Parts: sequence; structure tokens; C-alpha cells
Amino acid sequence: MTTIRVNNQTVEPKPGETILSVCRRLGIQIPTLCHIEGLPPSGACRMCLVEVEGMPGLVPSCSYPAADGMIVQTHSPLVVKARRTILELLLGSHPDDCLYCVRNNHCELQALAAEMGVRQRRYVGRRERHELDVSGPSIVRDPGKCILCGKCVRVCEEIQTVASIDFISRGAATFVGTAFNKGLNVSSCVNCGQCVRVCPTGALTERSCVQEVLTALDDPRKTVVVQHAPAVSVTIAEAFGLKPGADVDGQMVAALRRVGFDHVFDTSFSADLTIMEEASELAHRIQTGGILPMMTSCSPAWIKFVEQFFPEFIPNVSTCKSPQQMMGALIKQFWAPRQGLDPRQVVSVSIMPCTAKKFEAARPEMAKEHVYDVDYVLTTRELAQLLGIRGLNLSVLEPEDADTPFGERSSAGKIFGASGGVMEAAVRTAHYALTGKELSDLKIQPLRGLQGVKELRAKIGDLEIGAAVVSGLGQARKLLEEVRGGRRDLHFIEVMSCPGGCINGGGQPLGTDMQAVAARMKALYRIDAEGTLRTSHSNPWVKRLYEEFLGAPLSERSHHLLHTHYHHREVVL
Amino acid sequence: MMARKKLLLVDDDLDILEQLSLALGGEGYEVVTAQGRKEGEEILMLGRPDLAIIDLMMEEMDSGFVLCHEMKKLYPDMPVIILTAVTAATGLDFHARSDEARSWVKADALLDKPVRFEQLKEEVLRLLEPRESEATAAGV
Repeated sequence: MTTIRVNNQTVEPKPGETILSVCRRLGIQIPTLCHIEGLPPSGACRMCLVEVEGMPGLVPSCSYPAADGMIVQTHSPLVVKARRTILELLLGSHPDDCLYCVRNNHCELQALAAEMGVRQRRYVGRRERHELDVSGPSIVRDPGKCILCGKCVRVCEEIQTVASIDFISRGAATFVGTAFNKGLNVSSCVNCGQCVRVCPTGALTERSCVQEVLTALDDPRKTVVVQHAPAVSVTIAEAFGLKPGADVDGQMVAALRRVGFDHVFDTSFSADLTIMEEASELAHRIQTGGILPMMTSCSPAWIKFVEQFFPEFIPNVSTCKSPQQMMGALIKQFWAPRQGLDPRQVVSVSIMPCTAKKFEAARPEMAKEHVYDVDYVLTTRELAQLLGIRGLNLSVLEPEDADTPFGERSSAGKIFGASGGVMEAAVRTAHYALTGKELSDLKIQPLRGLQGVKELRAKIGDLEIGAAVVSGLGQARKLLEEVRGGRRDLHFIEVMSCPGGCINGGGQPLGTDMQAVAARMKALYRIDAEGTLRTSHSNPWVKRLYEEFLGAPLSERSHHLLHTHYHHREVVL
Repeated sequence: MMARKKLLLVDDDLDILEQLSLALGGEGYEVVTAQGRKEGEEILMLGRPDLAIIDLMMEEMDSGFVLCHEMKKLYPDMPVIILTAVTAATGLDFHARSDEARSWVKADALLDKPVRFEQLKEEVLRLLEPRESEATAAGV
């Protein structure tokens, strides 16, 4: 039996387990700045150093496998001093403007400095001058605050396979930048924000729209309408100290009204609408020999990924706009005129778990006569900031319902926030459309869970359907390469750009691990299990919208409002 | 056939002038270029372009702002887009997203460099509407 001793406790490591992993199992907190759960260690930051008896010097616990008989000290005076010195050296070339930094109070470097009691600047390092990159629609980079931990580079390359940022130059001159250092806006960045999620400092942040939204709210000439995405109600509470997975849908609606929004709509309503259109589009493609497999179009980072890396698959992507854009189009082009409002006086705001939604909202395709369907996109984090500015605490508000006509949703629309949710909702509706009967069990277990790839073969009526669900763009790339290589058994593919889906989106509260993501996912499925309205086609307001205005899915009006087309995109590589 | 819209492009970076002239020319616009504030002013005296796209930091840090003021004095209705890397270079963040900001920046839009051409094209179309947008819509 293999055993090691850590701080005088004997423990049995699992085969291949690192010292860090063993320690975490024991509840020993070892600081790390470069470690990413699920990826091989990089050993870049050296914060996780430990003392191993008989070894010369200290060893990085993140990359050192536990071996039989090891005697490890994780917090000996030597270790603590070394960690503190490394941290002080990192701080030596870090700006002092924490008070003005967007990550103030959410910064891992700042938290560690406090934890280790750093109270003076012992080293003054040379500061390389790097330009801010504010060119991108979703993400702002400040290489001056970067500590070169490399997490963003690895997430972008190894998980998303986008590789739009990398280390440039050598030695002390090293910095993280885009190809030819030309800026994110013209790079291959898909705006997913996974780099922001893992960045320990303020080097990567979303491009904030909070000020613009406040200006609109304070303008008496404007009617400000807000929609909130399915994944936000199960994550925003974390910013107010509640446990991951707490659902505060009603409290959030109440808070949005108190912030000053004139109307509050639920993007899960337009998720239901997306299902109606997308399921019909799939049936149409299958019946008419159209291009298959059809691929979902809800995730804007995925769309840009296809446009720039796999343009030959653009015809496979559903022409349906995403739920955000469907809601935006309904607000500006359907709802506003019926309220007697000029769409130019309506400001359409969305609250999204996503940074790429900012890019999507600004796409020229998403406007009619230059009036944009969605004017401003706030991430979950920006919403928390907005509520703070208005002095609102979610946990003490009484729940309220969203507004009609776009406030009622089915729980099928709600599970859009998790990887597999779009597929599950679509299968429920496709089954009803093709057989006239509801599925006997609405829960489709093979489509649930945090795995990167999930597959389903289902017989719906006389039709045998092959479906695949992938999350994380690296998984999407693998599947596209299989399809390109001749795989023919799939009819429908759901892609979400972020691992696990929108619940793990680039705009979600920071500092969370995969356990938190699992809790968020569980919350969405709990809402579904407890729901009374569980299929998109049974949403009474969706039915009314079709009866009174759209006609039927894929009608001319639907095409005009709810569908779009994508194009091959050239980027600096 | 409608007359081609005339765009004035002012930037001290020759590469940008050349790239944008080609791209905007390809969209059917007549593009006149100037390599700085002084040359821009001379061209303005010869007649009113339909729209101007100007850099901010040229001969001086604020040449673009000065040029904007002059343009709006001469031709108050002419839309102006500032295309700049000022935030990257200085950390100072300017924008033209509110009436208040537009009132002193004197530009109708401010775009950060590097810009995707689709963004610039959309801003030009937006600021040249309504006539231009109707023509575009009719052409589709």
C-alpha cells in the first residue's frame, strides 16, 4: 500500500495523484495562481511549493506526484517564507492601483497578499509598459496587471482550441498578447470569456456597459426594457454570499424593477420560441433532404468559431437567432410599436452569463435600419455591480413575476442554461410535433451532466434521430472533425462554447470550481422537475404569439424577425 | 443612379489610409484622404464631404479633437467618426455614446483601433442614413 505523510497525517494517494490534490482532499489549503482543475499542471507560479523530506529545495506540489513514503510539510516556516517572497516579487512589478481596479475585492493576488500579511513593498521591479487593449467588443486586456500565470493562454488553447492569445517575447520582457499584438478585436478571439473566468488579477475583464445602462435608466425620454437569461437566476446569488445553485429568479425580477427597468422579460420565453423554430427547422431539413447535421446557434462564441475556423459548416448552423436576439427583435420590432413606442426610444438591455453576447448584440445582422435589437449586454457580474450601485440586496427582496407578454416560460426554456438543455427541450417538442403525444418521461438522462460530449439515439415516431451535445469549443472542434471525416449518423448537434454550458459562462461570478458549476446545473434541473409547464410548445404566450402574429414556425414573419445568416470571417491569425 | 457619397479620411498612418481607402472604395464610396490635421483642413475648405473619419493623435495629441471642432463649425450636419488608439496608448477612455459626450467630443461616433471593417461600415451606413440605409435596403 502506498502512503505518504502530510503535516504528520498519513494518507493514501490515488495512483498518479499529485501532492496538491492529496492535500486538497485532506482540507489543507495550498495557494495556487496557475493551477487549472482538469488540465495538466504547468508549474508556472510556484505558489504551491512544499517541503519534501530528503529532496533538495522545495517542490511544486501541483506537478509533483505523491510517491510512497514521502514526508511533506505544506506550511513549514521555510515554505511560508518562500511563498511570501515569490508573491512579493510578483507584486514588485504589479501596479498599486487596487482601489481603482475592476477586480478590487475579487482578485486572487490581492487576497493572497492579504492572507500572507504583505504590508510593504520590499521589491520594486521594472514595469514593462504595455498598451491596454480596449478594441474588443467583449473583453478588455491590461497586460500591465498580468502576472504571467498562463491560465488564459491554456484555457484559450487547450480547452477552447482557439489560441488567440499567447506568450510573446522572452524573459523579463514576456507578455501575453494576440497575433502580431494587433488587438483582440481583429484576432481569432471568440469572446467566450473563459480567460476572464480564470484570470487571477485584473488583466482580463469584460467590457463594462454599466455606465451606459445607468445613463439610459436616468433618461426620462427612454423606456428601458430588460431580459434575463436562464442561467443568471441560479448564479447571481453567489455574488451576494448565497450558496451556488440558489435560485433567486423572483427576487432578481424585483431587484431589476427597483433598479429602474420599466419592463422585465425572461429570455427563457424566447428560448421556448427558439425551440419552436429550431425543431421545425430540423424537421424541415430532414423531410426535404436539407443540410445535416443541423447545429444549434444559441452560443455566439461558437458562431464566430465556425465562421472563422470551419466556414464550410456555416450552412449546417441553424438560421435561428439566439434567444437573446429573438427577444431583442420582439422587443424592438413587435412589442414597442404595439405599445405606441418608437423603437429608437426603447433601450433594450440583456443580462447574460456570457461575454460573447456583447459581440453578438453588436453584429450588424442584429439591427433593423441600424436600430439594434439589443442595445446593452450586462454580464451576471455587471448585474451584481449594478445592484450594488443601487443599494439593493437580493436576499431580502420579495419575489415578483416577470412582465407579460414575454415573462412566462416553460422549464424547457429554463434548462437552456445547461449543456444538453437545448437538446432536451428540442427533443420534447420534436416528439410532440411528430407523434402528437408528449414523451412519457420528459427527463432525458443521457443529455444531462457535465461531460464534454453526450450522445443520444432516439426513435421519434418513425424517425431514428442521432443527436450529440458538446460543450467547450475543443470538444466542438473534435466533433466537427469527425463530421468532416465522414461521420454520418448525426442529425442534430448542440454546441455550447463554455464547458458545462452557460452556467459556467465567461460572465458568471468568479472564483468558482466545477462543484459550484454542478450545483448550478442541479438547480436548473430542480426547477424543471418542479415545474408545471415543462415543454416549449405548451407555453401559452408562445402559442398566442404564433396565433396572433407570427402564424407558424418558419413563417415569413418568423424568418424576418427570428432568423439570420452567418458569413465566413477573416481574422488575424 | 445616386451620386457616390464622398468620405474624408484623415490619419497620419499611411497604412491605415491605404487599407481603409481600398475597403471603403470597394463599398462604392468616393474616398479622399489627408495625412494629418493640416491637410484635412485644406481639403475641408474645398467643399463638404458627406462624412469624415478621423484619427485623434496626429501632429499633436489632440489634433483630431481640434479638427472635429473645426469640422462641426464649418459643416454642423456632417457626421464625424473618430477612429483612435488613444485609450491603448494613454489609458484615457473617451467615448461618444451619450449626448453629453458627443456635445464636447464633437464626433458622432468613436471607435477604438483596431477596428473590424464591418463595424466601421455599419457606423458609416448608420450616420449616412436615412437615405443611404433605404438605398441599401432596396438594393438587397
